[in-house]
Amino acid sequence: MITRKLPAVLGLTAATSMILAACAAPAGTPIVQTVVVKETAVVVETKEVEKVVEKVVEVTAAAPAEWTTPHPILSDIRVRQAIAHCTDRSALIGSVYGYLPDEQRSKLFMDTFIPKDSVWYAKNVDPNANIVDYPYDPEKGGQLLDEAGWTLPEGAAIRVNANREPLALRFTTTNAPFRQTWGAVFVSSLQKCGIQLLPSYIPGSIWFGGNSGLRRRDFDIGAFAWVGETEPPGVTLYACDQIPTPANNWNGQNYMGWCNEKASQAIKQANNTLNDAERKRLYTIVQEEFSKDMISLPLFQRLEATGHNKELKGLIADPTEYFSASAADWELPGKDTVVIALGQEPASLFLLQESAAVAVVVGQLVFGTFSTQYSYGFQPVMYEGDQFPTIENGGAVNAEVEIKDGDTVVNGDGDVGTLKDGKLVDMEGKELALTGKDVNGNDVEIKAGAKLPQLTVTYKFKPHKWSDGEPVKKADWELGHKVACDRESGAVNFLTCDRVISFEVLDDNSYKVVYAAGYQPPTYYLAPFGYYPSHQKLADGRTLGEVEPKEFKDLPEVTDTPLGTGPYVIKSWERGQKITLEANPNYWKGEPKVKNIVVQIFDANPAGAVAALLQGTVDVVGKETLGAGQELQTVIEENAKGNIVAEPVGSQTWEHADFNLNIR
Amino acid sequence: MLNYLIRRFVVIVIMAFIISFASFVLLYSAPGGPLEQLASLQSTTRRPDPDEVERIMKRYDLDLDIGVRFLRWLIGHPRGAIMINGQEIAQNFQVGCLKPGKAQLVYPDGRVEEINCAKPVYLRDLDGRPVSNGVIALDFGRSQQLARERPVSQLINTRLGPTLLLMGVSTFLAIAIAIPIGVYSAVRQYSRFDYFFTTLAFFGSGMPTLFTGVMGILIFALIFKDLGLPYLPAGLATSNRDVVIPLFGQIESGSVADRIWHLILPVGVLTFFSLAGWTRFIRSSMLEVLRQDYVRTARAKGLIERVVIMKHALRNALIPFVTLLAGVLPTLFGGAIITESVFSWPGIGKLFINSLTASDYPVAIAYLLISTFLTLVGFLVSDVLYTIVDPRIRMS
Repeated sequence: MITRKLPAVLGLTAATSMILAACAAPAGTPIVQTVVVKETAVVVETKEVEKVVEKVVEVTAAAPAEWTTPHPILSDIRVRQAIAHCTDRSALIGSVYGYLPDEQRSKLFMDTFIPKDSVWYAKNVDPNANIVDYPYDPEKGGQLLDEAGWTLPEGAAIRVNANREPLALRFTTTNAPFRQTWGAVFVSSLQKCGIQLLPSYIPGSIWFGGNSGLRRRDFDIGAFAWVGETEPPGVTLYACDQIPTPANNWNGQNYMGWCNEKASQAIKQANNTLNDAERKRLYTIVQEEFSKDMISLPLFQRLEATGHNKELKGLIADPTEYFSASAADWELPGKDTVVIALGQEPASLFLLQESAAVAVVVGQLVFGTFSTQYSYGFQPVMYEGDQFPTIENGGAVNAEVEIKDGDTVVNGDGDVGTLKDGKLVDMEGKELALTGKDVNGNDVEIKAGAKLPQLTVTYKFKPHKWSDGEPVKKADWELGHKVACDRESGAVNFLTCDRVISFEVLDDNSYKVVYAAGYQPPTYYLAPFGYYPSHQKLADGRTLGEVEPKEFKDLPEVTDTPLGTGPYVIKSWERGQKITLEANPNYWKGEPKVKNIVVQIFDANPAGAVAALLQGTVDVVGKETLGAGQELQTVIEENAKGNIVAEPVGSQTWEHADFNLNIR
Repeated sequence: MLNYLIRRFVVIVIMAFIISFASFVLLYSAPGGPLEQLASLQSTTRRPDPDEVERIMKRYDLDLDIGVRFLRWLIGHPRGAIMINGQEIAQNFQVGCLKPGKAQLVYPDGRVEEINCAKPVYLRDLDGRPVSNGVIALDFGRSQQLARERPVSQLINTRLGPTLLLMGVSTFLAIAIAIPIGVYSAVRQYSRFDYFFTTLAFFGSGMPTLFTGVMGILIFALIFKDLGLPYLPAGLATSNRDVVIPLFGQIESGSVADRIWHLILPVGVLTFFSLAGWTRFIRSSMLEVLRQDYVRTARAKGLIERVVIMKHALRNALIPFVTLLAGVLPTLFGGAIITESVFSWPGIGKLFINSLTASDYPVAIAYLLISTFLTLVGFLVSDVLYTIVDPRIRMS
């Protein structure tokens, strides 16, 4: 008994730090780009002559041409392939998930940047896809190294080249115990091929820091995790123009420095076409090139689980959707309250600004969801007729239009600008590339008179009500759009807003969006804007519709006790303790069976949440709270014994080792 | 006396200022923070928008020089150009840099000056920018991460109750138990009782609360429950549902019994930990007093042993104990960081840890500053108390 639970409870701090270190998907460095000489401020004259500055002129610094020199060892493809062959990935997986049966372990194995259970995985698209396999084969690895000129001298453990230089590489990753564990196995398995790895396990804040580690490409072999998405990303990861160098202010996430024109073209096209079959074909090309060039060694998918009370019915645990999406269908016989453990308190429920997992979990209870994303796909929920507006069903139209001066246009790179005197200029005043894509995906020069595709989508929803009984109406949608696109509202992202040229609410349950010419988002069928209850009374007597967008993020009626259309309504929020919700009698699918939900906050204490789950005081511990440490093992073992339910599944998050193809 | 107090108070203010400046600078130079947060919030499919970066920098004053930032945090100023008799002064004084790089300042007379900043921020740019009233006015600003845009004081207020309860009860229990045990151990020095509690004291002070807390959960919450014994909760301050405890009955969610039930384990762990040290302290202080002449005199007068111990020895033995109490003041506020974390106790200690992991600087600095101030005040109070309990000591 003691041996069973002790490690679970002891794994207290380790797991949290690891999740923090591992899950922060490093997006590009927020560095401001230096632009060609440009006026930024003009100061009104004052009497104080000495201090008066007429204007400030920004100076372009000459960017040093660095980080383009090929890496002396890793730029040789044979060395990279040898490393792939010498890596015993089953042993790596075994070192961290030793408690899993073999057949479940092998499911975690990865060979491209898309997990094998995704519909986008090349071999799920085309079983004959040419994915190069790198089975564990030290002999083959040795041969490749011999060919590359790295030979093993008599009696030595490490290979050397003709100049007697050793085959030694820096291996950098975070100091999370999870990574140190498989890292040690990685190091020893390469050692068997005569490759010496010099590991450095550094804090995540440095490895993923804004001006250090990964973002400065300061590694030979660097390991971290990417979080896969329902829509495969990849433009910033694998395109040629996304290689971070000092010349582009370290923008982009192609940390390897991989430039394969074929893959780069394909991935850009895939992100700029609406045809699913075509995109699958393009992603297959990228995966084939990715595996052939071996610039990034995919290791394994992480394991995850959502643990819950075995009496609780209707809960769906899925790698790409949160468990709370199924809350409306939950049943817990004999009890009227379901208690959810959350590893962190949501900072705010103003979801335009806050997108942390914990906020989304609570948000789905309060706001419901227009669509779900189970199993790497999208499913309509609130859409009229239970179908998305697509080109096939006539809900969307992709028409060819002639562009003219003054139009907002999106070019082939996906950047948006205004056409002015033959130039495409973005909001910052920067000139953009003048190559766009026509309806068929072919290159076309952007100029007045050119023909580009333009999307018009009509999003129609089922009639439904706010939780106070007021039906959703036109003004609510208008308010939703206004707030989402107001620069002062605190929204983190104006990507879509900048690419919408007209937004029109047609009636209480539908709106029409005309997108900028050239903008071809693959997920155009997902509604880009939500709504706010414009009739909601505020403490100061105003209604929400009368409030300026910039005030939204400060309003308790928006951040703490928002009115929603989801299955549950917030009754109270005791900061630092719990959020109490009750069933929404006006929910469009009918009042949920479980009358109350309590979201109990276990700040950075997954062990405490698991102890409470085993004790029965908590009914659900989601994957975002469990993490990937000792607690995960505990719930999986308790699942095997039948005490709780926690089916282990491969997560969206996958570990890999990148090879740096350049040196300074 | 008054003179002394005033002088001490001035020292406290200076110390608090230095410490707050140091912690302010240190925290803001640590990696992480709102900008990193922004980077990870954004989808992986695009580059961060320079607009957003600048907006965030302005919102949290990250574009300002650290000294200016500190001033705005401390006193809520500067808030724009300085106005004297309707004249704007120093409006062109550079206070920060929004965008690193190089720029040329072109003066009307054609002079050109080069500066190391692509987008300088001037005093006049601070006009209309949101700012707190300053710590001086007890406004600790707004939370950046944990409860975005909510006042820090609100966060602290909601956690103060549970922390005071937990720390108050455990401190009281520790003192109430430590004094009799310490006295008895001293009076019966080298007895079995003394050895037992000496061992226990070493055990208690040697075991960190992280360990005893986790063990407590394992034994009293999980194993006891599996064995069908009356068990204790694994954490939290109240239950969300009514619970039936074997051999004890039903505990209603949110009732007084429920609260006490949840207090037992964390209070037990904390009491056990502080009990250890205090027992030893009382014991040694008591042993010293028992050897004094006036105790022998009291015994020689023929006083009964109980009076000798309680009236003559104990009162004198407690004098040094008063200084120890000075440290209690900040802990009552600051809570027990580890114990609160292990038991998911919604207190201030846990708030502090969370604010550090989330890089919520205003919250972390507020905690540090209040704790600093209370520690300094605690010392002052103990010094004053010292003169009261021991008339031989004078302030000067």
